[in-house]
Amino acid sequence: MANPSPESPPVVPHGPVAPRRGFISLLAVLAGGIAGLVPVAAGTLFFMDPILRKRKEAGGGLLRAGDISDLPTDGTPVRVVLKSDIVDAWTIYRDRVIGSIYLRLMPNGQVLAFNDTCTHLGCKVDYQPAEKQFFCPCHQSAFQLDGERKNLTPPRNMDSLEAEVKDGEIWVKYQNFQTATKEKKAI
Amino acid sequence: MKALLNWLDHRTGYKLLVHEALNEPIPGGARWRYITGSMLTFTFIVQIITGFALWTAYSPSTQTAWESVYYIQHQMSYGWLVRGIHHFAAQAMMILLGLHFLQIVWDGAYRAPREVNFWLGLVLMQIVIGLSLTGYLLPWDQKGYYATKVATNIAGSTPFIGQQVQQIAQGGSAYGHHTLTRFFALHAGLLPALLTVFLALHVYVFRRHGITVPHSAQGKPADTFWPKQVLYDAAGCLVTLALVLYFTLTRSAELSAPADAGEDFPARPEWYFLFLFRFLEFPAISKMGVAFGAIYVPTALMIIVVLMPLIGKSQWGHYFNRLFLVAVLAAVAVLTGMTIIEDNHNESHQAKLAFAERDAHRIVVLAARDGIPQNGARELLVNDPLTQGPRLFARHCSSCHRFDGHDGTLQKIMKTVEENGVKKLIPEPATAADLKDFGNREWITRVLTDYDATFKPLENAGEKGQAILTGEMSSWCKDNQKALTDPANAESLKALVEFLTSQGGRSDLGAFDEKLVADGKEIFKGGTLKSGTLSSSCVDCHAMKVAGERTSLSEGAGAGYPTLTGYAGRDWLKAFLRNPAHPDFYGDKNTMMVFDDKRLSEKELDLLVNWMTGDYYLPPNAHHTK
Repeated sequence: MANPSPESPPVVPHGPVAPRRGFISLLAVLAGGIAGLVPVAAGTLFFMDPILRKRKEAGGGLLRAGDISDLPTDGTPVRVVLKSDIVDAWTIYRDRVIGSIYLRLMPNGQVLAFNDTCTHLGCKVDYQPAEKQFFCPCHQSAFQLDGERKNLTPPRNMDSLEAEVKDGEIWVKYQNFQTATKEKKAI
Repeated sequence: MKALLNWLDHRTGYKLLVHEALNEPIPGGARWRYITGSMLTFTFIVQIITGFALWTAYSPSTQTAWESVYYIQHQMSYGWLVRGIHHFAAQAMMILLGLHFLQIVWDGAYRAPREVNFWLGLVLMQIVIGLSLTGYLLPWDQKGYYATKVATNIAGSTPFIGQQVQQIAQGGSAYGHHTLTRFFALHAGLLPALLTVFLALHVYVFRRHGITVPHSAQGKPADTFWPKQVLYDAAGCLVTLALVLYFTLTRSAELSAPADAGEDFPARPEWYFLFLFRFLEFPAISKMGVAFGAIYVPTALMIIVVLMPLIGKSQWGHYFNRLFLVAVLAAVAVLTGMTIIEDNHNESHQAKLAFAERDAHRIVVLAARDGIPQNGARELLVNDPLTQGPRLFARHCSSCHRFDGHDGTLQKIMKTVEENGVKKLIPEPATAADLKDFGNREWITRVLTDYDATFKPLENAGEKGQAILTGEMSSWCKDNQKALTDPANAESLKALVEFLTSQGGRSDLGAFDEKLVADGKEIFKGGTLKSGTLSSSCVDCHAMKVAGERTSLSEGAGAGYPTLTGYAGRDWLKAFLRNPAHPDFYGDKNTMMVFDDKRLSEKELDLLVNWMTGDYYLPPNAHHTK
């Protein structure tokens, strides 16, 4: 490919200067390596942002999930939609639906709350009044009303959520959890 | 290992490729002046790497472009670093392009048989300029927006096809989503692809003819590319990178406020186009029309550059080319220097820049507060008293008042006068008080102890202004000045001021001293100072209902004696601006403009008053500075 001009003297790649040549080579590799590595490292670190950066924890606070008077006294589950502000990268969406949950009023006045996402693979779990159970239409996971699993399809019981009653209002800490694992791990 | 490499070589022939790449002969030996080409290639690779990284987080639309760049710069891990490298490497590329070009022309490397490669280089130069122009707009900030508007308007001035060219570039007759999607597709897609293709051709043809050896090196022993020239090249790349990092760390890539078609910006092109900007400013050039200065002249110069290989066939032609290039570069340097010096001496331009910088800082504070609304970041500025207040002040108040000597937006108000037949600009005197300190402790102290100095500008307001300066409050102040400024009464004055300041319920004045407020109330009521008494007490003229109390302290003397209930607070100021001629304020004696809702909407009034009373968001640990 190279076609040196006819006037150029012959190339002298070897000879008594060989040790110096080795040193120059080393320097060339070093300088070139650093120059190349810096932008690659910066770009890679930036690309790794999703695992490098601590984000503000979403949904950390308690959300209002209605009034205790909305719940039937016999403990029948009621599905409730939760709204909150959502931050998606730079945008803040005000008062958006972030998910739905089941609420049950217990005889002692306590409120049980469950995330309605199936612990198996994340479909939404239905309440079946006839069978008095929660049932997932995707792979037939079934749960008792206290959230305990009725078959071995789901890896764990339904995910309960922290809930408290203040002046007749129900407040829930909404969280989503890793599906398909034995342990309940918030995500 | 060796066996594996031999196997790979047998299947791919890579050793020959490496050998060809590294053992290219360098007749006359390795030299520093040959490094610019490699440095350009290096910066291009840096741009591809950092550009790809930025691409993963950039969102090209008018409501998300600035927002995503803000997010890259201020929120994402190492976003400032990647964007900084991309920003400054782009500028390094322009400098290297100039150096490379200079070296080629100076050494006559364009002459036969290298003419085609010279032209390939010119194509590469155009592509790099295209990348720079398209990239400048992508953050969709004020700076890029207005600078690029100039560029597309220049394209629009092209004879015959200008309008069509402009519309195609913009994606419509105005700037919008499609301007960004098109510029982005060009910047990240077509132009880098073309650059890669032409760079490959450029290197291929370069390798075919080899390096052009300058006279001084002819006859000296030859080298191969590896390792000495590679070391020189690598060192050059390392220095480039070091400079890019230095600027990233010390200056960081700029991001001005989000683009706003309704908001003025002191736009200048990037520094490497300043010469063209200045060239177009010459009256003789602007008289000829935009197309002349921005299209015909550059095209004519470019034609000469394209013809350089033909002109340079003779030795005299080569000298002409050198001279031409040096002359053009000198002109560019002079014009660039002129712009920088003129801008530095242009007070109004500097004030505009400083004010624009305030917006740039403010929007980052607002965006970091709890995110950017769906309609985009501009909405945050539009609804922010600290951003809009000064603008409203400039529009509605600054024809009479000043704010710390300027119009609210840091601009001095000037007027043209003719002196001995020469027109010159002098400051326009105010005709009403400077309101920077309005309602704070200094303000009230000054009004009480030196009324005439506070309202001195009223001297310029004609008879009605004079009437105020010779009015009752002015005489009261003169009568009591001695008592109020008596060191023995320092505490009494402080108490009276504290009481009056506390009435507005303002949050920007710090905490109030309850004891002083209580003492001040007594002085306000009875006029008794620590040493002596006031000629008449405040309640003799002014109405006052202390915040939180059921009954009024005083009803006042009626119209023309402004009420001090909630003085200088939000509600007081709103009511006052809406109708200063109301009996609660100046009554018949009013000389101030009435700001009814035709002149100032409710929203504007809120923004203005909230700014003046310090009622706007500040990040934790920040202090009020208007």
